[in-house]
Amino acid sequence: MRSFFAFILAVLGLGALALYSSAFIVHQNEQALVLRFGEPLPAITTPGLKWKVPFIDSVEKFDKRILDLDTTEQEVTAADQQRLIVDAYARYRIVNLLKFYQNVRYEERVREVVGPLIESEIRRVLGSATLQEVVKDKRESLMKQIADQVNKEGRDYGLEVVDVRIKRADLPKENLVKVYDRMRADRVREATELRAEGEAESNRVRANADKDVTIIKATATQKSDEIRGDGEAQRSRIFAEAFGQDPDFFRFYRSMQAYRTALKPDDTRMLLSPNSQFFRYFEDPSGKAPAAPSPGPAPQQ
Amino acid sequence: MPWSSQGGSGGSGGNGGRKGGPWGQGPWGPSGGGGGGKEPPDLDEILRRGQDRMRQVMRGGGGNGSGGGGFSGGVPKPFLFLIAMLLLAGVAFYGFFFRVNPDEQGIVMRFGKYNRWEGPGLHWRLPYPIEEVRLPQVTQQRTIEVGAGRSIVGGQDSGLMLTGDGSVVDVRFVVFWRIKLDKDNSTPDGDTGVKQYLFNIAQPETTVREVAESAMREVVGQSNLQPLLTGGRQQTQESVQKVMQKTLDTYGAGIKIDQIQLKEVDPPEEVISSFRAVAAAAQEKETLIKQAQTYADQVVPRAHGDADRIVAAAEGYRDQTVAEATGQAARFLKVYDEYKKAPDVTRERLYLEMQEKVLSGADKIIVDQKGNGQGIVPFLPLEQLQKRDTEPQPDQSSTSSTDGAR
Repeated sequence: MRSFFAFILAVLGLGALALYSSAFIVHQNEQALVLRFGEPLPAITTPGLKWKVPFIDSVEKFDKRILDLDTTEQEVTAADQQRLIVDAYARYRIVNLLKFYQNVRYEERVREVVGPLIESEIRRVLGSATLQEVVKDKRESLMKQIADQVNKEGRDYGLEVVDVRIKRADLPKENLVKVYDRMRADRVREATELRAEGEAESNRVRANADKDVTIIKATATQKSDEIRGDGEAQRSRIFAEAFGQDPDFFRFYRSMQAYRTALKPDDTRMLLSPNSQFFRYFEDPSGKAPAAPSPGPAPQQ
Repeated sequence: MPWSSQGGSGGSGGNGGRKGGPWGQGPWGPSGGGGGGKEPPDLDEILRRGQDRMRQVMRGGGGNGSGGGGFSGGVPKPFLFLIAMLLLAGVAFYGFFFRVNPDEQGIVMRFGKYNRWEGPGLHWRLPYPIEEVRLPQVTQQRTIEVGAGRSIVGGQDSGLMLTGDGSVVDVRFVVFWRIKLDKDNSTPDGDTGVKQYLFNIAQPETTVREVAESAMREVVGQSNLQPLLTGGRQQTQESVQKVMQKTLDTYGAGIKIDQIQLKEVDPPEEVISSFRAVAAAAQEKETLIKQAQTYADQVVPRAHGDADRIVAAAEGYRDQTVAEATGQAARFLKVYDEYKKAPDVTRERLYLEMQEKVLSGADKIIVDQKGNGQGIVPFLPLEQLQKRDTEPQPDQSSTSSTDGAR
């Protein structure tokens, strides 16, 4: 009985061992290469429970996901002799396990092996474009160009390069100084322009105001003169109506008034003839004979 | 033997005494010679043996096993058994079930292959080698800040970027992203977001960061400096989001970019002072214009006031003139009315009144020209005469009177 159980146990143990050494799990994010005495069998790219011959087959697993490759920063000279610091990254996946195994073998070595490839491709492609094209106009298509070329070359290493993108394409420090100078100059120009605009606008507003003032005053003066003229016209009319009734009396009456106002007591010295009308009764109480016909006084001022 | 006696002290005590020691023989030992080996072991016997074995095991090192151990072994037996069963149940539970928190999704792989996914709650699974569970946090929004090492030229996380017009701008921004869920967050068919996220890309964080840097520089490179600094914020954010999403989708990354938030978009530190100068100039411009407008606001109303004054004065003058004229005319007419009644007398009276008025105040010299034809000539120059007012005049014939009415 005891030996029977022992046997069972032994069989079970052996079975487990056999199972353990003949089955392996390929995860969803993995792929595997089975080597039979070092000879590669067709790659296993689907996940699940897989079988192998124990002790004879060995399994190499590789990542199936899209992997990350960051290139080192490098200086590139564009076609217009502008220098650029370029930092790019690539995304790849391992598609040909055997080639990958033969050429690269470990993921850690991809950077070492493929990195320089990408970097030289970047230099080549960006070197044929101007700075303006790299930064602005053709960035997308240049990246595509690099990716396509690198992808072609990467096939030899069992890699599919999904994408190469320029992370940074910046100017080196020394060139930045020049850019800064230009930016400053631009700003100074802009500031000057703003000030000039301000002055121009200010002057315009002031001039407009002055113009308005002049017009307003002129209009007022015009109106004023019209009103005054109207007043004077009325005055003339009133006088003409009144005085026209007896021009002779008017002349007399007005003369009387004029003498009164014109001959002020303070500044008038009179040289009178005793023969005047005024003195008619001065010498002769009958007032008969005023010698001279001219009646009025001869005022002198 | 009845079942109850199995747990009793008698049987076990006897057993303990009969054997040489608890570990003296293997567990199967009693089957050989315990019962004399004649009759086949009945159920009771087997059970008893099992109990023995159990007890022996429980006693541990067997330090007190050989003595009257019946008493000591009786109490812990069901208790320990219970613990063992619980332990087993626990292990089984953890082997066969897993829990998914509300922010997670349970991705079940059978032999490494994606099998199904489970939402929050308790779920059944097969134990380890057969099924494995991954529990990614799917609802969480994650953030990555780019450009924190701002203004450091060529630094690892530099925010300096070239713009389309050849200037440089310093950008700091945050990317909000999450694992892409399915449309209605339930259908697990095909390459859904979580599956892609777990199995399609190796380093999601790094990927998002690098894609973000690349996308931002691409967008900034296509824009000019001024719109970036002022109005184009929203547009920049949207463009970057679009570019990032497109790129990540080509990787099948299972990542959704929720939002790009531009924290700061500034000119580089080296030139920021000149940008401030521009802002100051703009202020200055505004000030100048404001001052001019103030001047205008002051001067024009004042001119209106002046104009009103001028017109008012003119109106006053007109009214005054008319009134005066009317008055004078009326006065003349009144006098004229009276004059018509007695023209001679009135004329004479008016004349005399005038003379009276005029002569009453003035200096008067009366010269009689009757005697000779010389007239007043000898008395010239009159100016002198006027000056030496009070001196006696050389007089030929007539009287000269100096006037004292002054």
